[in-house]
Amino acid sequence: MKSYKELPDDAGSNIIGQVTAQANRLTKRLASIKRTVAIMSGKGGVGKSAVTANLATALTLAGYTVGVVDADINGPTIAKMMGVRNATLEYTSAGVKPAISSLGTKIISMDLLLSEDDAPVLWSAHTQKDAFTWRSTMEVGALREFIGDTEWGELDYLLLDLPPGSDRLPNVAELIPNLGGVIVVTIPSEVSHLIVRKSITMARDIFKVPIIGIVENMAFYACKHCGEHESLFSPEDTPDNTFQVTTLGKIPFDPKLSHCNDNGTPYIHEYPDSLASAAILEVTQKIQDFFKYY
Amino acid sequence: MKFLCIDCDTAMKFKDVTRPEQGSVTAVFECPDCFTEIAMFLNPWETQMLKSLDLKLGGSGEAAQPMQMVRSQLETAKQDSMPNVSSEMGSGETAEGGKCPFTAVISDAFEEKPESEPEGPTWTPEALERLERIPSFVRPMAKMGIESFAKENGHTEITGEVMDAARGNFPAQF
Repeated sequence: MKSYKELPDDAGSNIIGQVTAQANRLTKRLASIKRTVAIMSGKGGVGKSAVTANLATALTLAGYTVGVVDADINGPTIAKMMGVRNATLEYTSAGVKPAISSLGTKIISMDLLLSEDDAPVLWSAHTQKDAFTWRSTMEVGALREFIGDTEWGELDYLLLDLPPGSDRLPNVAELIPNLGGVIVVTIPSEVSHLIVRKSITMARDIFKVPIIGIVENMAFYACKHCGEHESLFSPEDTPDNTFQVTTLGKIPFDPKLSHCNDNGTPYIHEYPDSLASAAILEVTQKIQDFFKYY
Repeated sequence: MKFLCIDCDTAMKFKDVTRPEQGSVTAVFECPDCFTEIAMFLNPWETQMLKSLDLKLGGSGEAAQPMQMVRSQLETAKQDSMPNVSSEMGSGETAEGGKCPFTAVISDAFEEKPESEPEGPTWTPEALERLERIPSFVRPMAKMGIESFAKENGHTEITGEVMDAARGNFPAQF
């Protein structure tokens, strides 16, 4: 009796061919992107998406062509933070034209496809029961299409805003074999550090993705009257000591940054002389240095 | 998957499909030598997994459209985010277009049951109006649940009263 390998094909489905075609579309798109950077955290609520949005804006203002993939499929916020939430995507045979921010950053996000504010991501299925068996696969498929089917053009940087946790990184590492590096966002609290450590281990030790460095968000608060810096969280451990990776910058807490995110206005453009803008620009410079010397 | 006719030691070929039912599809394969046929059944989870991977049994037969998986499978999408995705992707057109009919059937299985499906209760205009008031992202599930309730309770027509009776089965109000 013939074996599996001796049969000529899979009765016409050509599953391997279909998977290969998907991979080829992605590879072709990635060829026009010079550097890919995943921004991740361990714990939610540390301001990862806000950091991503502002880094994208800072790189754009520095003269680079920049794209952002909102890889948080179920909790997309990048479109709002970058002021493109009302954009209508345009489909062509070459791909989907991304939304473009007021300063020229290109953005793709699930938020641009959802029908209304309170609509969750709900996939078509005969039943939503037992969705755990396929939902994650759907999300990875969506991420593959976001990266591979968006008409990015030539990009200097593609930033990927990952959801909280470390579980999406393996998907990204598989989709983008030449992932340039990972930036880990944390806040100065032991709770955040505990989880972020797992993300670093996942990226650096298991998937061998270079860690560009850590961004410590909400690192301190500058009194608006006297300018004195005060800690918002536990001040003992610095990220350098805790994680043994480079600290790219410490961004102070600034309510204006949150307001800008809510309004979709670029903070570092609105408040270029603020402490937080200086920190974001410092991080941006270190990212450029990383790719220059790495 | 590959299928072998053990008697002939020959690879079987795709032959036909039945209509999808409750998310499941059935494909028939035939031995080209002895014409023995077998049927393969995909349960709804297997069908859904193929859909999640954006793979089509019987072959895709045409170039992929941009973001075709998201555009065709996102239940809660806004309409202008997916212009003509069904026709662009060929779902429902493939049988007439000479492509492997299995592809069309798999595509059908991924979509809502066609309007022309003979079985199932009909909706009165009043009931449909109330259905439209249900938030769009839960509407398909609510519709399916109400229809299921109607069938189980012997209703051939869904009226406001039937919806009231079914309401107790749902967390959402309508």
